[in-house]
Amino acid sequence: MATYIINLAILIGINAILAVTLNFILGYAGIFSLAHAIFFGIGAYTAAVAAMKFGADFAAATAAGMLVSGVISLALALPALRVRGEYFVAASLGLQMLALTVFSEWKSVTGGIGGLIGIPPPRLFGFDVSDPVLFLALTLACLGVILIAIRALVRSSFGRSLKAIRDDETAASALGKNVALLKTLAVMVSSSFAAVAGSLFAFFLSFINVESFVLEVSVQVIAMVIIGGTGTLLGPVIGAAIVLLLPALLTYLPYLPPTEIGSIQQMIYGLAMVLLMIFRPSGLWGYGSSQDRKRAAP
Amino acid sequence: MTGEILFQADNISKTFGGLKAVDNVSFALRAGIITALVGPNGAGKTTLFNAMTGHLVPDRGAVTFLGESILGLPHWKVARLGIGRTFQDLKLFSHMTVLENVTTATESGSWLWQTGGRAAQVERSARIERALDATQLQRRRDTRAVDLSYAERKFLSIARIMASGARLWLLDEPASGLDRSSYDRFLTVLRNEVRAGVTICIIEHNLDIVQSISDRIAFLDQGRLLAEGEPKTILSDPALAAIYFGERAP
Amino acid sequence: MVFLQLFLNGLQLGAIYALTAVGFSLIFGSTKIFHVAHGSAFAISGYIYWWLASQLDVAWPVATLAAVLAAAAFGLLMERFIYRPIQRHEASFFTVFIAAFGVSLVIQNLIGSVAGRGMETVTTPLSRSVEIMDGLFVAPISAISIGVAILVFTALSYFLGRTHVGIAMRALSENPDLVRVFGLDPGRVAQWAFVIGSAVVVPGAIFTAMTAGLNPAIGTHVMLVSLAATIVGGIGSVRGAACGGMLLGLAENLAYWKLDPQWSEAVTFVVLFAFIIFRPSGFFGTPTAAR
Ligand SMILES: Nc1ncnc2c1ncn2[C@@H]1O[C@H](COP(=O)(O)OP(=O)(O)OP(=O)(O)O)[C@@H](O)[C@H]1O
Ligand SMILES: [Mg+2]
Repeated sequence: MATYIINLAILIGINAILAVTLNFILGYAGIFSLAHAIFFGIGAYTAAVAAMKFGADFAAATAAGMLVSGVISLALALPALRVRGEYFVAASLGLQMLALTVFSEWKSVTGGIGGLIGIPPPRLFGFDVSDPVLFLALTLACLGVILIAIRALVRSSFGRSLKAIRDDETAASALGKNVALLKTLAVMVSSSFAAVAGSLFAFFLSFINVESFVLEVSVQVIAMVIIGGTGTLLGPVIGAAIVLLLPALLTYLPYLPPTEIGSIQQMIYGLAMVLLMIFRPSGLWGYGSSQDRKRAAP
Repeated sequence: MTGEILFQADNISKTFGGLKAVDNVSFALRAGIITALVGPNGAGKTTLFNAMTGHLVPDRGAVTFLGESILGLPHWKVARLGIGRTFQDLKLFSHMTVLENVTTATESGSWLWQTGGRAAQVERSARIERALDATQLQRRRDTRAVDLSYAERKFLSIARIMASGARLWLLDEPASGLDRSSYDRFLTVLRNEVRAGVTICIIEHNLDIVQSISDRIAFLDQGRLLAEGEPKTILSDPALAAIYFGERAP
Repeated sequence: MVFLQLFLNGLQLGAIYALTAVGFSLIFGSTKIFHVAHGSAFAISGYIYWWLASQLDVAWPVATLAAVLAAAAFGLLMERFIYRPIQRHEASFFTVFIAAFGVSLVIQNLIGSVAGRGMETVTTPLSRSVEIMDGLFVAPISAISIGVAILVFTALSYFLGRTHVGIAMRALSENPDLVRVFGLDPGRVAQWAFVIGSAVVVPGAIFTAMTAGLNPAIGTHVMLVSLAATIVGGIGSVRGAACGGMLLGLAENLAYWKLDPQWSEAVTFVVLFAFIIFRPSGFFGTPTAAR
């Protein structure tokens, strides 16, 4: 039981990193990406390969993952951010599909559909951190560092510029802001931090395959951000916890065939997204209150 | 200083699918004065602003600022040269506070931090405080822009351009809809800024305001610049008045 | 010969994509709503047809009619109960997108729970291929789908170009006043856009049910293709969306010539990226600068 709870906590921590990093572009910069699972995956595969082929420890493997993920995010951001928001959604969806095909076809590196098996236990500065409690501490430390970094970014001039772009792109550029560059940087920061989650995930399971990086995962992270509340620091963490605890709770419901749980879970997110957008667009913990709506109505 | 040509447009035209929104307009903005751009609705005033700031690329013509061509430069580069503008629909950053709106106007650098170190930081906060003081928004500094009153929003758009440090201000109907006392206050702000070295081009429908504030007037109708000169001359011209008040000359 | 075969297959698939993309583009062009739940209309009508025609042995015209009604009703309900309430308080791209996305998640999983997650096909003699030339196989359904696509486009162009409602629909987003000049209610016209835009996916859905087959995730795939085709064709242009859909269908099939089938979806996005990089305004679109 204790192991189960620790494992669940580790998974919540990993997903919270994904949600927090997605929220950085979605909530603060208004950039909508459907490819977050891909950067998660790039982090995981890179870290796994670094550990398996080059014997890298957790820090080195994670750094490699962040680097590769950041560079690949440029391939998405550079063309797609020059044009309007709809294009980025479409392009990110495209990247999600394209990269997934690469994950399952580039067998020499990713192991194809079968995935990579036997990722060595994580070491950090010479110490073995594969013990569940230690690994949980490592996960929470990563989450903490990322939260602090994002908090600092959001409160800096960079974060203000992103929020300005989110609220009005034209006015932001009329104040001398290079919108495309700012957005590209934001995507890069978000993608490289997402790779940290990937690295943790790879070392945690010691096995990865494409299943963990499909579109449904990107959607699940979006659900975490939306449910928790966009544009807040801790909302996405709460969102991640809610979304991951949901299946655990569903298993306690009687008469629910186990095969349907995944499906019911997705229906619940879907419904939550719809209802939140209609009744409370800023999420459960989001900024803004009913005041917004009263003001907006002429 | 005063009288030097800061900004110049030569023969610029912009057509929207057959409609000549700006038709072969040439005019200059001289440093240190307020030029009013007047004309009936749909005359092409906003379009002219857009062409001046790089928001739109004119189909023909040249645009120069401080003697350098700025034609074809993107919006944000033009802004960094010192041309600031406000918008008819304000375009405030509605979910940000007043302070954030003004602060972000001082930060045009795109990297993770602003360059210039401590000294630049101090200079920026001085500009922020000055803008908030001048527009009397100090006590609203932590209010989000959506929660401001109508007049406060108008002042915020001025505070933003003031903080940005632009030396040429293009103001698109900044005073429309203000009550008497607010717009008196508003005009005082503009006059003070001009005295401090800013050059202003203002689009304004209220001819009383135009008369009381402008040093020169440019009159635009159906995309063409019909007249340009001293307020006295322009405002007393019966032909222009007829056009302005909608009685088309035969 | 292989090339010719793939080209023919591509035409058929392109016709289906074109029909779907046109519906999406029509809705976006007139209401500015990025209706990403459009794929759900496709999935719903396809499954209704499959259920009636294949499970209950209902005659095809009846099943088709039911599928059209289901798609149209879906579009109408989306406009009425999702988009309109959202737009009343916050019309941002973001809120609309998330809500629509949520709906498609619900529909996809609902279909999965009710109809099963496997591949379902409606068997019909029409999809049996005949060898018309040495090594060139064509099924009657190919000719039918291309014919129906042409028919639908002709009808749609007539409707958009000649009828009051059609003209109003094109004018709606740019100039709602013009709609009022015709004596029409802009809200009503938006509903028509949803009804018609959703209904035009039905032929594509039925042909897919008869050929490649349906699965619950088909809505996502259709949404992808519609998005890509709309951008390739030029956002807001109905004619562009049709050409974009056709191009993607052809590209996907011609890719089989050199690549393994797993790469077919990837090809769609290579085309999409190429357009975003080199011609972001698409075939017929206007340049994409902000207003
Ligand atoms: N992006 C555009 N596309 C098409 N037509 C446009 C566009 N922008 C402006 N126009 C048209 O150009 C003409 C001039 O518009 P503009 O906004 O410059 O007028 P204005 O003088 O600012 O009027 P107002 O006093 O109402 O603000 C109008 O007929 C307008 O409809
Ligand atoms: Mg105007």
